[in-house]
Amino acid sequence: MKFGAAGLAGALAAVHGPVLGAARADSPGLLHCAVFSARFRQGVAFAEELQRRHVVTFSAGHDIAKLWYGDLEGGMSQTGGLIAGLTDRVTLFCLEELARSAGMRVLYRVDHVIDKHGNVEHTAAGPASILEATRKLVPASGFGREMAVLASQFELREPKDTAALKQTGPFSPENKVALVSWVIA
Amino acid sequence: MVLPPNVSEADFNAALNEFRSALGESWVFTSDEDVALYRDSYSIYWGEPEERVASAAVAPVKVEEVQQVVRTANKYRIPLYPISTGRNLTYGGSAPTMRGSVVVDLKRMNRILEVDEKRAFALVEPGVSYFDLYHYIRERSLKLMLDVPDPGWGSPVGNSLDHGAGYLTSHFRDHFGSHCGMEVVTPEGDLVRTGMGALPNSETWQEFRYGAGPYIDGIFTQSNFGIVTKMGFWLMPMPESYLTGTITVPRYQDFEPLIEEVSYFEDLSLIGMPQYGSPIGGGLFGPPSPDLAALMQNGWPSMDALENYVVAQKRPAWSVELNFYGPEETVRANWQAAKRRFAKAIPGAAFQDGELLALPIPKEKEATQGDKPRLGIPALEVFTITSRNPMTNSDPADGHADFFAYVPRKASAVWAAARVMYEAYREMGMPPMHGPFSTPINYYSRCFIMATLVPTYRNAAKNARSRELFAKVMDRCAEHGFGCYRTSPAFQDRLMSKYSFNNNALLRFHQKLKDSIDPNGIISPGRYGIWPAKMRGNRA
Repeated sequence: MKFGAAGLAGALAAVHGPVLGAARADSPGLLHCAVFSARFRQGVAFAEELQRRHVVTFSAGHDIAKLWYGDLEGGMSQTGGLIAGLTDRVTLFCLEELARSAGMRVLYRVDHVIDKHGNVEHTAAGPASILEATRKLVPASGFGREMAVLASQFELREPKDTAALKQTGPFSPENKVALVSWVIA
Repeated sequence: MVLPPNVSEADFNAALNEFRSALGESWVFTSDEDVALYRDSYSIYWGEPEERVASAAVAPVKVEEVQQVVRTANKYRIPLYPISTGRNLTYGGSAPTMRGSVVVDLKRMNRILEVDEKRAFALVEPGVSYFDLYHYIRERSLKLMLDVPDPGWGSPVGNSLDHGAGYLTSHFRDHFGSHCGMEVVTPEGDLVRTGMGALPNSETWQEFRYGAGPYIDGIFTQSNFGIVTKMGFWLMPMPESYLTGTITVPRYQDFEPLIEEVSYFEDLSLIGMPQYGSPIGGGLFGPPSPDLAALMQNGWPSMDALENYVVAQKRPAWSVELNFYGPEETVRANWQAAKRRFAKAIPGAAFQDGELLALPIPKEKEATQGDKPRLGIPALEVFTITSRNPMTNSDPADGHADFFAYVPRKASAVWAAARVMYEAYREMGMPPMHGPFSTPINYYSRCFIMATLVPTYRNAAKNARSRELFAKVMDRCAEHGFGCYRTSPAFQDRLMSKYSFNNNALLRFHQKLKDSIDPNGIISPGRYGIWPAKMRGNRA
């Protein structure tokens, strides 16, 4: 589902709303750890907000194998927690394929496609609360922190469905930046 | 929920209950959100009725459970589709060949049963990935090198059974060729060990592959005659060093002697997989540059026109990187010998020394090491590289269906295959991926691959066009004797119809085996065109 313009205040209201608002405002919630693309400003903002909430963050570099086998796999099997990310598509694509072997799946994803003028189109797939929160995101920069708040307050009691699974391949449009916010559990 | 064909809901539910009794409730997956995990991410039928989706999945943890699943499947005529890691994207991934099959996910059978450093072999279960085996060897500082495919997230068992390949010297990079011994649950639930594994108390199961009597291991590759539950592999002793060297040659027609000289070193097992290129542009796929596109306005250029084009570009026409493995003394000597032979065979050949690396690569340098698969290190970096390749555009593909044509190991065949693929794309009105400077892949040492990647989408109309293109490339290549060696389930019937000598005698033989070995047709119906008799219909 694609969304257009809305106010930042609306986005924040949504992520602190009744469905997602069980955790404290500065709590990591169920998040075990998070992954971010340090190449992108929104990825850094996402990580900074989660670090403030004491979530362990990993930079998704060129070597996704090191990220999965070295950083994520062992930790997740120990805690059974969620892992969130704001990354490029290829990182999510690989992690989603790898997660199946650990009995995990993508619970929601929000694609943020940014054109050369900085306009952002957000497309969400997943539970209604995510769709609602995404609808209120502004179609411009500044979504990294909001997606971090959303991830930290996501609850596993959200109904699971197949909408968020395998939505795209690893490729990104040539003239645009395609980022994705996601939760795997 | 999708049901298996010709199975009632009551029978299916009864089978699922028996699966649960055998495996435990947790390891039988039937919910939509669980089953959807097994969709093929690169499906060329995504979202269409023909998409090969599973009805359920089961995850046994031991051989006895696999046998029980097979017995239940026979009882209720449930089609099964075994996967190891299910990540062989472009060839079906984790999705079954036939819609409605129950995926037998062998991910929990992930034990590394034996690694013998001195005798240089491993025995593993199907759920063991290349990463798992690599980490096992590394953590124990065993002096062994794995030959890995790229990406390396698959399993040695699955990759070998699908005729996958790697990068080291020829007798290791043919992954099925370097296996030794297997254990198979038959479609009727029996358990067979091949080669010396059939001899109780033998210690040579992973050392002598043939045992006595007919050698049957090959029938379990790209087939549906059983579920492989163990497999042995020969490993390469860790070489002391790795040396690369690059050769360039000036003229277009120098490609022929370049290939002949490389093949000399290849057939002596003195090098790993050679990496051909063209400094003028092109490389593996070689979409024509603007200059070359202008030259090709009136069709494929003549040899004279190409030679003149090369001269005008003031760069060498071709290159090849050679990789040497062994003690420092021998890799240096082999590179010197290569320089001598190429200089004599090809006037104007030039040489560039590469870096000499001591092996194994220190752990702290591994993350930043380039070209990991050539050093036996599994990687996923191919995804981050290709996600930004020229395939991507304003409307990027979501995946690709690979067509890897096997062509003779000679320049004229490379050029012929590139032209066939080029013209197939042109017939479709699509920008060609190939041109006169396209170069081959040499996974299997005795012949070349000319590869093309047909895009796949989450869009039915675009996928329809891609299927048409894929079929055209396959048809045109087959007319020239260029056979594809593996393909996604969507094209397996079409592919096998090309291997038609003597009124499809090969397929008819496969069918006879199927009818005998798997009379109820429960294992992977349709895989590589082998359908059970009851489903054969007009396909035969």
